[in-house]
Amino acid sequence: MDPAAEYIQQMTRRHFFRQGSLGLGVPALASLMGNSVQAATPTGGLPGLPHFAPKAKRAIWLFMAGAPAQMDMFDYKPKMAAMFDKDLPESVRMGQRLTTMTSGQKRFPLAPSIYKFKQHGKSGAHVSELLPHLATTVDDMAIIKTMYTEAINHDPAITFITTGRQLPGWASMGGWLGYGLGTANQDLPAFVVMTSTWTGRKQAQALFNRLWGAGFLPSKYQGIALRSKGDPVLFLSNPPGVNSKNRRNMLDALAKMNAHQFEVAGDPETRARIAQYEMAFRMQTSVPELTDLSKEPKHVLDMYGPDVKKPGTFSQHCLLARRMAERGVRFVQVFHRGWDQHNNLPKDLPNQCRDIDQAAAALIKDLKQRDLLKDTLVIWGGEFGRTIYCQGKLTRTTYGRDHHPRCFTFWMAGGGVKGGVVHGETDDFSYNIATDPVHIRDLNATVLHCLGINHKKLTFDVQGVNLRLAGFGVEANVVKPILA
Amino acid sequence: MKRTLPLFALLIALQPMPTQAASPEKVDFQLQIRPILTEYCLNCHGPNEKKRKGKLRLDTADGPEGAFTKRKDDPAVIIPGNPDDSEFYYRITVDDPDELMPPPEKSKKMLTKEQIELLRRWIEQGAAFEKHWAFMTPKQPALPKVSKADWPRNEIDRFILARLDKEGLTPSPEADRRTLIRRVTLDLTGLPPTPEQVDAFVNDKSANAYEKLVDRLLNSSRYGEHMGRYWLDVARYADTHGLHLDNYREIWPYRDWVIKAFNANLPFDRFVTDQMAGDLLPKPTLDQLVATGFNRSHITTNEGGSIAEEVRVRNVVDRVNTTGTVFLALTFECSRCHDHKYDPISQKEFYQLFAFFNSLDGNAMDGNRKDPAPVASVASPEQKKQLADIEQQLAGVRKKISADLAKVSYTDPGPDAKPAREPVETVWINDAVPQGAREEGTWQWVGGPDNPVFAGMLAAKRTAKGMSQHVFTGAAPALTVEGNDTLFAHVYLDPKNPPKQIMLQWNDGTWEHRAYWGGNHINWGKNGTPSRRHMGKLPETGKWVRLEVPASQVGLSKKKPINGWAFTQFDGTVYWDKAGTVGKPEIRFRSLLAWTNYLSRKGNQKAAPPNVVKAAKLRPTKRNAAQKKLLREHFLQHIHADTSPRFKPLQDQVAKLEDQAKKTRSGFVTTLIWKELAKPRPAYFLKRGQYDLPDKEAGPLTRDVLQALPAFPKDSPRNRLGLAQWLLDPDHPLTSRVTVNRFWQQVFGMGIVKTTENFGGQGELPSHPGLMDWLAVQFIDDGWDVKKLVKRLVTSATYRQSSRITPALFERDPENRLFARGPRFRLDAEVLRDQALAVSGLLVEKIGGPGVKPPQPDGLWFAVGYSGSNTVRFKQDTGPDKVYRRSLYTFWKRTSPPPQMNTFDAPSREECSVRRERTNTPLQALLLMNDPQYVEAARHLAQLAMTKASRSPESRAAYIFERAAARAPDKDDLANLLSAYRVQLASYKAAPEDAEKLIAVGESKPNPALDATELAAWTMVANLVLNLDEVITRK
Repeated sequence: MDPAAEYIQQMTRRHFFRQGSLGLGVPALASLMGNSVQAATPTGGLPGLPHFAPKAKRAIWLFMAGAPAQMDMFDYKPKMAAMFDKDLPESVRMGQRLTTMTSGQKRFPLAPSIYKFKQHGKSGAHVSELLPHLATTVDDMAIIKTMYTEAINHDPAITFITTGRQLPGWASMGGWLGYGLGTANQDLPAFVVMTSTWTGRKQAQALFNRLWGAGFLPSKYQGIALRSKGDPVLFLSNPPGVNSKNRRNMLDALAKMNAHQFEVAGDPETRARIAQYEMAFRMQTSVPELTDLSKEPKHVLDMYGPDVKKPGTFSQHCLLARRMAERGVRFVQVFHRGWDQHNNLPKDLPNQCRDIDQAAAALIKDLKQRDLLKDTLVIWGGEFGRTIYCQGKLTRTTYGRDHHPRCFTFWMAGGGVKGGVVHGETDDFSYNIATDPVHIRDLNATVLHCLGINHKKLTFDVQGVNLRLAGFGVEANVVKPILA
Repeated sequence: MKRTLPLFALLIALQPMPTQAASPEKVDFQLQIRPILTEYCLNCHGPNEKKRKGKLRLDTADGPEGAFTKRKDDPAVIIPGNPDDSEFYYRITVDDPDELMPPPEKSKKMLTKEQIELLRRWIEQGAAFEKHWAFMTPKQPALPKVSKADWPRNEIDRFILARLDKEGLTPSPEADRRTLIRRVTLDLTGLPPTPEQVDAFVNDKSANAYEKLVDRLLNSSRYGEHMGRYWLDVARYADTHGLHLDNYREIWPYRDWVIKAFNANLPFDRFVTDQMAGDLLPKPTLDQLVATGFNRSHITTNEGGSIAEEVRVRNVVDRVNTTGTVFLALTFECSRCHDHKYDPISQKEFYQLFAFFNSLDGNAMDGNRKDPAPVASVASPEQKKQLADIEQQLAGVRKKISADLAKVSYTDPGPDAKPAREPVETVWINDAVPQGAREEGTWQWVGGPDNPVFAGMLAAKRTAKGMSQHVFTGAAPALTVEGNDTLFAHVYLDPKNPPKQIMLQWNDGTWEHRAYWGGNHINWGKNGTPSRRHMGKLPETGKWVRLEVPASQVGLSKKKPINGWAFTQFDGTVYWDKAGTVGKPEIRFRSLLAWTNYLSRKGNQKAAPPNVVKAAKLRPTKRNAAQKKLLREHFLQHIHADTSPRFKPLQDQVAKLEDQAKKTRSGFVTTLIWKELAKPRPAYFLKRGQYDLPDKEAGPLTRDVLQALPAFPKDSPRNRLGLAQWLLDPDHPLTSRVTVNRFWQQVFGMGIVKTTENFGGQGELPSHPGLMDWLAVQFIDDGWDVKKLVKRLVTSATYRQSSRITPALFERDPENRLFARGPRFRLDAEVLRDQALAVSGLLVEKIGGPGVKPPQPDGLWFAVGYSGSNTVRFKQDTGPDKVYRRSLYTFWKRTSPPPQMNTFDAPSREECSVRRERTNTPLQALLLMNDPQYVEAARHLAQLAMTKASRSPESRAAYIFERAAARAPDKDDLANLLSAYRVQLASYKAAPEDAEKLIAVGESKPNPALDATELAAWTMVANLVLNLDEVITRK
């Protein structure tokens, strides 16, 4: 199933056997617990990967679940102002599929954004007034205005962009990265997921464990959810009344008894288990150290905004993402919900933007000042976009927007991508793509590329078919113009 | 792609090397040639028509584009017997990269010299193309000859040993008895043996001790739970819908049916038929309908904005894929959008199978309901018992009514007896307070002959000094009092000790409704108003007097029914009896003939049951005996002015019981089932697999099966029942093989075909083809008897080998494909948890019922859940019945499965899964060490040791170890346990507050009789033992 890993495992098994057959006793084993055990559990990853020198060693994806309205944030459409409440021309819509939430609407009146846009940075990229902080980092960002997808409802769309297929069962991007590249830090998971609180409407779209699941890959590649309440990693803490010394003593006895069992039964899996228990013990230290923000200086905390001290906020998650980047976590995904503004968008969107704006900008700046941005790829975006026409009530001050898969905005910053780039143009309605379309599979292929992976070559055999994250069925293309 | 040690390489390597002198070994197409063609050629020259290059296919010799077929201007590509003249051989050996195959620029790898030589020999030997092994009907091979005639215990062992002989290997010795009983108990029941069971087996000297053990396990109810659990992975069973809101779905009766089916050893052919087509069987039982939940247990959605047809197609595709995986071990998924690249499954055939599953009589969207139609109602065991109780009581009351009716001596006064308009009396209180009433003040019911009684058997007596009363409230149903009604009660005043005042009070929410007789001593309400109405002087003493109060005078109306009544007095001794209301006059009959005439002509026919009305309308001479009896009994029971009141209490009881039965029935659970549309929905070829691109020009597709497999049986209906019959046809090459292989995988850790889910060209070849076929044919010959098959597997010598791994053996066969040793693998998630509950004595062995929610860390559901979902917040259950049940009953939310399960590789149940992996991760270590339920189990195990074993630390440590490992600890084990105990004990003695904290973990309270520090230390020792490799492994 996993040939390379199997091969490595077998090699180490054989290696161990020779030692084992020489009568590896408990003292020898104990001395192995330090470095040699790590040698027995290599960083993983496939031989031959990365396929080429990577620009990014790790990635952080700020996922906006629910689908942000591109024309209220990045995709500036000045001509719409004069067309308030006019019908979306049929020549623009071209009979395209709508969700059944608006397909029954008698008209499709245009709803111009009520937010002011200005050009920013050297690149002169347009950013709306809702994102004053991100406006200051546009020269580090490659903004893609021409993302598109086929899925039109949340569940299939978010499953599609995170796993490459609209239905459950496939491996997520982080799973692929762990499988292909292994981990750079033995004491932390290679793929960490955080689900943030949000301040927009409470009726938010669901997330699913499958979005960070291993799918058909071995389950050890699934993302580990870092929780903001209770143990950050499930069952990390010892039970009440058990301190580290109690645990160490129990583990010492466990290791001795398991080693004894290994001598009797000879199963290499036993030895792997001893190593896993040791890693669990190390995680009991490394994870709390990771999540302990008490040593972060005030000026850094201030950068991320006032929410940074509240557990579970996007702001705190961005800071944690930076700490993970420092510690070599391969892939971090932060899911921020609440972007599904079918009606009364102006009530919600400013709150949602406030949740993410300062923190996302701070993440870029903080990485940059630590010289980590050059090899950390930051990705921002959601599962699709929103319609220029109004769903529900339209007035000069309020409107709603339905799902729109035909164009939406993403941005990337850091390792591997050029700053100050705006890629692709949509039509005057932010409805169709005018130039340079980028499918979500192209985006995923581009992310893999930045991490040194040829998306065509990172495959996994499932029932005789080579499955991959990007470009299964329809070929994916790396978005070269945004690459550094 | 890339298998490090592909099985065919292993097999080839293990074949005896051809000697120079002898004629070259016959090349095996299945083992040696097909894998090469599949890997290197078929992508472009295979069954997929669209991908096919150069109008050539290399998966078959014949047909217009087959390998042996003469080309337009050239000879055939392969000329049997003549590699040098074969274009095929030329193209795989030519130097020119433009001509070389496979094309060097496209392929990742090229053929090796050895492979080319094999292909050459194959052509030389006639280039026989054989059908893929899995598509040929298995024939039971003769049992192979073996070296050690005394080793095999059954047929399985002959095949295994023959292969070992060939490899120059010998089987491992038999495992010791303790290992064996733990292994087989875990494999057949998913639970460890108890120490008593271990001892009994170890000490059983009879020759068939092991066989008896196996029989005992096969007959245990735990067997069905354990076997069923594997099937639930297959059926992708869960308690939520799986997409978007992921709301609760009620389908657990299906889960319970699966358990029951395994326990009852339902033959596998019936097991399949019931699930595939239970609804299509003649007069299906409720069980058979419940079984059809198999095809309903896929994920569904109700996301706003979804297009129903798209969702519907997706649901049907899931059913096709699942059928393909479970019964055929073929990968249908690819063929949804295009012809399969490697296996003979065309896109059209996909949709012909699709047509079988296309006509569910229900919506595609689940409506976010727990019971999207079609569903069946199912009683739980408790409800069944309740209902039976009610039925029994009803029968009793009805019998009493019949008996009472028989006792009535009635003579018709003749049809001229005129019905009179008489007021209708409703007696509410007579010998007892009404239903549901709560009594206050002590009611003293007294009977004759020492006391006066007006009606029935008893009267309520009260003697008082000053004000006193007996009261009730809360009668249900409450009594409706019409404005024109009169309230009445009967009273008897003791002449020797008469009261000064008597009062009646009624409660319709308040007590402000009073009437009194005699003096004005009781100071409630306001005199002269409905709250204290004077009705006259005290009645005459020493006789029964009827008191009457018009409802309007005390402020009662039909808007507010009364639920309470108080009988109050000031001084004296008072007897009360029969009380109620009198309504407006109605026609009352005393003649059956008169009533019958009345009913037949103009009476309120709707008020009488239809059969009574029908009998009444007949001429008297036309009525049969039964109808006469019916009329008479109905009349006496319900109509006759004098006899009917006697039956009123019994009728009330009947009504009440019938109401209870109705309520019980409405509490039945529902379960998703299949119901076929009356008119099947046409199925079309979907271009590119798109729901909105049906090929309507080509017309609806006929339901049919794969051409490469046996034809659809001629006399079978073209529906799911026919499909099941096709699957179960004894000539079918796949169903039996695939099934046998899955059971093999269950007990041996790996299938004879490793790729349990894929028997197609890209799947692995069987390690023991002869054994696979022998078992498959035998399974059918045995009438698809699952227990017999399982017994055959676990009683084989192969199964009973020691699982000890020697370095030499490991080098030779790391995966144990040759079965030269017993299987050894980590326990599944469910078994791990169940084992911890069992050895600690916590396990509650109760079969079935709704999913339970044992503790899990806070916030897991909330972190991902849709805000409006009814499963967005996890609320833990309480009580042993819910918390300590076997893991297969744990509530399964698909978008956030229980962490105890998915951390140990349980699938998400989002799609059909026939094989679990077994990973080994630090998160598993954290869970087993720290999950409160495992910690609680450790503490209970410690408590058992401290209460059941003798006092010495040695015996307590041994007790803990033995319960978990099914063997006594050896010297090293014991030394390690004791040294751990001493360190932990010292630590807890130094910090007793920590001990208190540790032993408080869990749902249960620690045993207060035990010393906390010792208990804490033993808890840590038990925690250690429950984490031992040996304990979490089945060896």
